[in-house]
Amino acid sequence: MSDAFFAPLDPDAFNLRQAAHLLRRAGFAPTPAELSTAVEQGLEATVEDLFADNSEEQAAFQQTFDAVAGSLVNFADASQVQAWWVHRMLRSAFPLREKLTLFWHGHFATSVHKVEDAVLMHQQIETLRANAWGNFRDLVLAVARDPAMLVWLDGQSSTLEHPNENFARELMELFTCGIGNYTERDVLEAARAFTGWHRAGNQFVFVADEHDGERKQFLGRSGRFDGGDIVDLLMQHPATPPFIAAKLLRFFATAEPSTEAVAAAARLLDRTRLDIKWFLRELFLSRYFHSEVCHRRRLASPVELVVGSVRALGARMPALELVGHMAAMGQELLAPPNVKGWDGEQTWINSSTWPARLSFAQNLASIDSENPYGPHLPLESIVPLELNDPREVVDQLADAVMQGELGEGVRSDLAEFLVTTDEGRNDEAFRDDEGFRAEKTREALAMILSLPEYQAW
Amino acid sequence: MFNRRDFLRSTAAGMSFVSLSGGMSGLLARAAEASAEADRNDHVLLVVELAGGNDGLNTLVPFENPLYYKNRPTLTLAKEDLVKLSDQAGLHPRMAPLGELFSDGKLAVVQGVGYPEPDRSHFRSQEIWHTASTDKRVPATGWLGRWLDATAPAYSEGLAGLTMTSTLPQALRAERVVAPVVSQLESLSGAGDDASPQARLLRRLSTVDGASEGPVPFIRQQVRAVYRAAARLKEAASKNETNAEYPDVALAHQLRQAAQIIAADLGVRVLCTSQDGYDTHAGQAGTHAELLSELANSLAAFQRDLAARDISDKVVVLVFSEFGRRVDENASQGTDHGAASILFVVGSPVCGGLIGEYPSLEQLGDGDLIFNTDFRSVYATLLADWLGAPAKVVLGSEFPRLALIQKPA
Repeated sequence: MSDAFFAPLDPDAFNLRQAAHLLRRAGFAPTPAELSTAVEQGLEATVEDLFADNSEEQAAFQQTFDAVAGSLVNFADASQVQAWWVHRMLRSAFPLREKLTLFWHGHFATSVHKVEDAVLMHQQIETLRANAWGNFRDLVLAVARDPAMLVWLDGQSSTLEHPNENFARELMELFTCGIGNYTERDVLEAARAFTGWHRAGNQFVFVADEHDGERKQFLGRSGRFDGGDIVDLLMQHPATPPFIAAKLLRFFATAEPSTEAVAAAARLLDRTRLDIKWFLRELFLSRYFHSEVCHRRRLASPVELVVGSVRALGARMPALELVGHMAAMGQELLAPPNVKGWDGEQTWINSSTWPARLSFAQNLASIDSENPYGPHLPLESIVPLELNDPREVVDQLADAVMQGELGEGVRSDLAEFLVTTDEGRNDEAFRDDEGFRAEKTREALAMILSLPEYQAW
Repeated sequence: MFNRRDFLRSTAAGMSFVSLSGGMSGLLARAAEASAEADRNDHVLLVVELAGGNDGLNTLVPFENPLYYKNRPTLTLAKEDLVKLSDQAGLHPRMAPLGELFSDGKLAVVQGVGYPEPDRSHFRSQEIWHTASTDKRVPATGWLGRWLDATAPAYSEGLAGLTMTSTLPQALRAERVVAPVVSQLESLSGAGDDASPQARLLRRLSTVDGASEGPVPFIRQQVRAVYRAAARLKEAASKNETNAEYPDVALAHQLRQAAQIIAADLGVRVLCTSQDGYDTHAGQAGTHAELLSELANSLAAFQRDLAARDISDKVVVLVFSEFGRRVDENASQGTDHGAASILFVVGSPVCGGLIGEYPSLEQLGDGDLIFNTDFRSVYATLLADWLGAPAKVVLGSEFPRLALIQKPA
């Protein structure tokens, strides 16, 4: 049954480099500790852990959320909901689920700017999270009934008299089978099927009076289809596995997958009957995933960069500030620019967003407070205080944030930078003056986080 | 490789941008050629967005209309205080500097501007103005972005379009051309000669060639362009200080910097600025007066600055808002979101005067003023008559032009 393209990686071939790649992709970025655990326990065990059950953590987060909602934190304010999600991304012991939630958020791109209700947006994210790696059909159905989506794509105003085509069209064009795989008639008929799918407050409600229960023609089939039937039929559309598999591949494997890879991924997704967990597990275990065509072949999105950097360093920064940094870099959570989501990759880097990446790097590296309840960068954990050889300091930094993947030339340039003062080279200053050493170390860290090679994720 | 993307799929509603693969880029390329042959000018358009929905009725007051006095018990402006532009209409008392510009023939006021089926949501209406589209399937690009794509040469190279605001306005979103956020570029140290050793090292490490696979080569290329753009901007800032006096308000700071950049001759063609605060749901009288005063004084200072630099005939300013406000006052001495409003076009190249008709205060649409000039006519006029651009390609269809720009002698 298995396809040669995604043949598994030889377990003995799983080393630091592979582990780092896996944890960067299936999460945000590994701490050195997480990295060594992964190497120690091997590929299969690490992949198993990625898919572990998170219900305890989910309950704990929910408890915190409920405890502060409306009193300490005004979650009716969209910026707080954005911050809450960043907080979860930073703290979750199940980063793959958060990563997938992020992926689906870009896929079903819904913006708070039109929905204008932070609670509905929060609810949608929870729906995406809960259905993140289940069967794709269940996810699509849940989204079709999601109140935020009903507002976003005008399902709310789709009535018997005036079926609204917006959701029906995007469902096909952007969410399932892709453009060119259905007719305009299919859009109209699907629109009829979703009539009466409304929301009352925060709940989905089926308004029977507004629903068109008559016979419809859709994708060559005929029946009294309702929205659920449309979703089922789209799941059976041969164009759906290639469309979704390609997106998953570009997000998790490599920015520009070969036609062969996309075809193989489509076959795999089809075989799993659109089971996301099964698909990803096989991908993560495969030789292909761990090969050079995938390694650091994606451009880190703002969310990945920010969350990954903070996690890898074991730092603490206010989530709201991080939301701001991501927005300045071109990715405002809960507010994709339009229903196609974020184009990503090369579009992340331009004359406005690049300075924003540098600003973030500077801010993160400069955190210099010992207050246990405030922002914190545990510099001494990253680079031991006593370590006074500049080259060794650079190597520590490279291990901490790039999992050791920093070129020789850059390393020696940075080592030289560390021992350079305003007056010129001063090896003794670096060796003997802890304060000077800490300052230069922070500057070197900021520089590494600002390098083009750092953005290759 | 930068992928081509569609702008917008054609819809039953009729406004369509060709979406065949390569089709749009091809169209724009041909338009760029046409534009290059036709009118390769260096005219500059500066856009001021009055964010929040400016109350047009109290900006340009139809003071002879008895209905004006009937609907606004606390917000009515007294006839004798107005800055009269005609025997029917006068500006808010705090806009005297604009009155002077009007006397000099440098101010055009489009009286009843809007679009069909007005949307009273800030987000949606702003989106409509910025993308120049009322289509439900919102284009990914803005009208200025599309113009830049049609006329400016390279991706992320150059400074053809800029924004002085803190984030990129939707109007400047383009397929190819990147319009930097000036404040972001300014924050990039390492661009100038005074850069710290750290900044200079980072610049060197970021821009030398290295890896040839994956995203890194593209990033390095972009970063080189970013440093170049930042350096040019920095140079402009250091060289072109002005003597002109500006009020100490945010909009004026943006305009001052804009004048400096325009004067530096960097090839900038369009700049975006904005003034916040126009969403006057409560206690409008004082707030609106302050805003309009700031606006008028800032615009006047900008014109003086341009004159001092001898570039008055190079720049036209468009001042717009996403919608006007309701005719009736509300219960909080304010006004709620409306529809049609007024719009200013300012500058030496402008045909001064009152354009269009003042909307009727009697025939209203759901209590709001009904437009008689589609805002896209203003855009079409500025594109064709001022920027020398293919208006139809940028806007998707034809819109009747207005007599806004003086014909060359």
